Amino acid sequence: MTDPMPALISEANPIKSINGRMLQKLIKAGLTWLRTNQQIVNTLNVFPVPDGDTGTNMVLTMQAAYDEIKDSKETNFGKMAHLVAHGALMGARGNSGVILSQLWRGFARALDDLPVLENNDFARALAEARDTAYKGVVRPVEGTILTVAKDIAAEAELITPVTEDFIDMLERVVQAADRSVQNTPALLPVLKEAGVVDSGGKGLYFILDGMLRYIKGQALDISIGTVQPLSEMVFLNTLETVEPGQDYEVIVDFRPHNSLDLPVFYGTLEQMGTSIQVGEGEGIYRLHIHVPTPNLYSPIDYTRSIGTVTKVAIENLVDQMENKNQACDETQPIVSPIEPGQIAVVAVCPGAGIARVFASLGVSAVVDGGQSMNPSTQMITQAFENLPTDKIIILPNNKNIILAANAAREVSVKDVAVVPSKSVPQGLAAMMCLIPDGDFESVVKEMEHALAEVQTGEITFATRKVEIDGVQVEEGQIIALLNGKLICSCPNVEEALLSLLSKAHAEQYELITLFHGADILKTEAASIAENIQAHFQDQVVEVQEGCQPHYHFIVAIE
Amino acid sequence: MSNENLQNEKIPLGSIKVSPNAISNIAYHATLESYGVVGFTSKNLVNGLAQAIVKDPTYGVDVHYDGKDIDIDLYIIIEYGTRIKSVAHSVSNTVRYHVEKSLGIPINEVNIHVRGLRISNLD
Repeated sequence: MTDPMPALISEANPIKSINGRMLQKLIKAGLTWLRTNQQIVNTLNVFPVPDGDTGTNMVLTMQAAYDEIKDSKETNFGKMAHLVAHGALMGARGNSGVILSQLWRGFARALDDLPVLENNDFARALAEARDTAYKGVVRPVEGTILTVAKDIAAEAELITPVTEDFIDMLERVVQAADRSVQNTPALLPVLKEAGVVDSGGKGLYFILDGMLRYIKGQALDISIGTVQPLSEMVFLNTLETVEPGQDYEVIVDFRPHNSLDLPVFYGTLEQMGTSIQVGEGEGIYRLHIHVPTPNLYSPIDYTRSIGTVTKVAIENLVDQMENKNQACDETQPIVSPIEPGQIAVVAVCPGAGIARVFASLGVSAVVDGGQSMNPSTQMITQAFENLPTDKIIILPNNKNIILAANAAREVSVKDVAVVPSKSVPQGLAAMMCLIPDGDFESVVKEMEHALAEVQTGEITFATRKVEIDGVQVEEGQIIALLNGKLICSCPNVEEALLSLLSKAHAEQYELITLFHGADILKTEAASIAENIQAHFQDQVVEVQEGCQPHYHFIVAIE
Repeated sequence: MSNENLQNEKIPLGSIKVSPNAISNIAYHATLESYGVVGFTSKNLVNGLAQAIVKDPTYGVDVHYDGKDIDIDLYIIIEYGTRIKSVAHSVSNTVRYHVEKSLGIPINEVNIHVRGLRISNLD
């Protein structure tokens, strides 16, 4: 979709009518622009319902509509519109997709097999689209895509007598759509509470706007400045690299005196710095920008000139960057795809690093959870429900999660086996025996067998004063557990590891893997590992980033 | 209601009981706000007299509680020309979301029975 699309008319002549071929191009433009802004629409979700990816659903629906017509040689506008409607119907995904398909259905029906579309036909078709969409529900909820459809139909009706130029008409319709979208929070309280506009309406706006941009010859594959809800603004990624001229991160919350002219706003900011993001909510805008030192105060001065500044935060990026390199890498794992009939493994992982290790060994789904954050049965079921296979193995990796895993097996219609791994190392040992195409029962047996082949050590701190198995522990002390049993309490992590390893008779094993927790720095972990290697010279000592909470180290001895 | 059991939750001050009737009410309203659904129809066709669309919130919604799980069955009529699978899917999601949000009790199953299509006008 990134191939450049030549503009329909570069010097914006009046267009009095458009035919089927032009509709084809307009649909493509609408789809492209919607896809470019898909993420913006996705972030507008209010309900955490599973089908909440409005942007994605609308893109898929429009894609199906475009697939239907992309090879068509049809020139008749009405017939082309019917093809679009058919494609949209077949590809409709989610609530917004279904409504979108109804809009196209009504649009097409109004036109029958009209050879070319003129402005009065366009208005008539938009009205019919609105009517059809409204018929599809007993209790239409206002402040949604339905309202936007209603408002653009009304606008089209108003301006038909005024202009014969399609560009003019479309421009006014797009403006009406924009106004209507901005007004949705006034009609629907949940939107207002969440500080967002309606996602479906916004999607419809992007489709129409894409058509207009195409006619005007504007770019369709570069998103305009992204204005997103405040709650969705995530700055984590922007920290990864610091380029020259990005010395400081400045975040300004401000309330503009007049409505914000985004293009001018962005234009001014671009002269000051990079990584510009603007968030909007409840009349307040949040500006995020990276600036070189000389421009440190320019964004603040500028926003003060156009509004009231409510809050300013400045952070030194270069300094942060140095710290960031030390902290745990929270990147989500990339799980391996699974094919029907294969055996899929779901692993419960207490940290992003451990999840990545499991993913690299071939698990198909990862559930976050571990000590003091046990996942629910539902979270486990959800993880594998949509996998395209019926053979599922669950690795709970914690003795407290085995029950939930068993419950997940009970409720699922799939063929589920729980390999009762009580710790991460056990789970990893079991993964070594996975043969995705193997016989289900024998693979499960192999994996269960592997559990016993590894010893698990854990280094954590005592949450209270206690005496177990003759070991006296004070609150806050570092303690070592071997296979779940408390074996010693030590003043520091390194000593705990050493006595753990000697208790485990690590000298008789081959490999010692240390998964360091979220509160241990990489450099720290590396130096500890070096000392351990010095004590156990015949064994291989490996360090992996585990990112697990509470546990300084999880140790696999095999 | 086929089942007069009450949902029971013990709290230190006493207990909270939610009747299936209340649950079916929530499900009913959530369904009618879902796009594509134009009405409910009675569960069995004899009662329904040729699939008449009913307006009573207890018709067409069946809440089962077996002491452990809550299952909801919805007997609905869908607008002709919508993609039934997508509509059913989003009804199921919406109902589950709303009932779970109000009750705080997980729902086991939401079954959608599409009992008919309403044809508003012919294409």
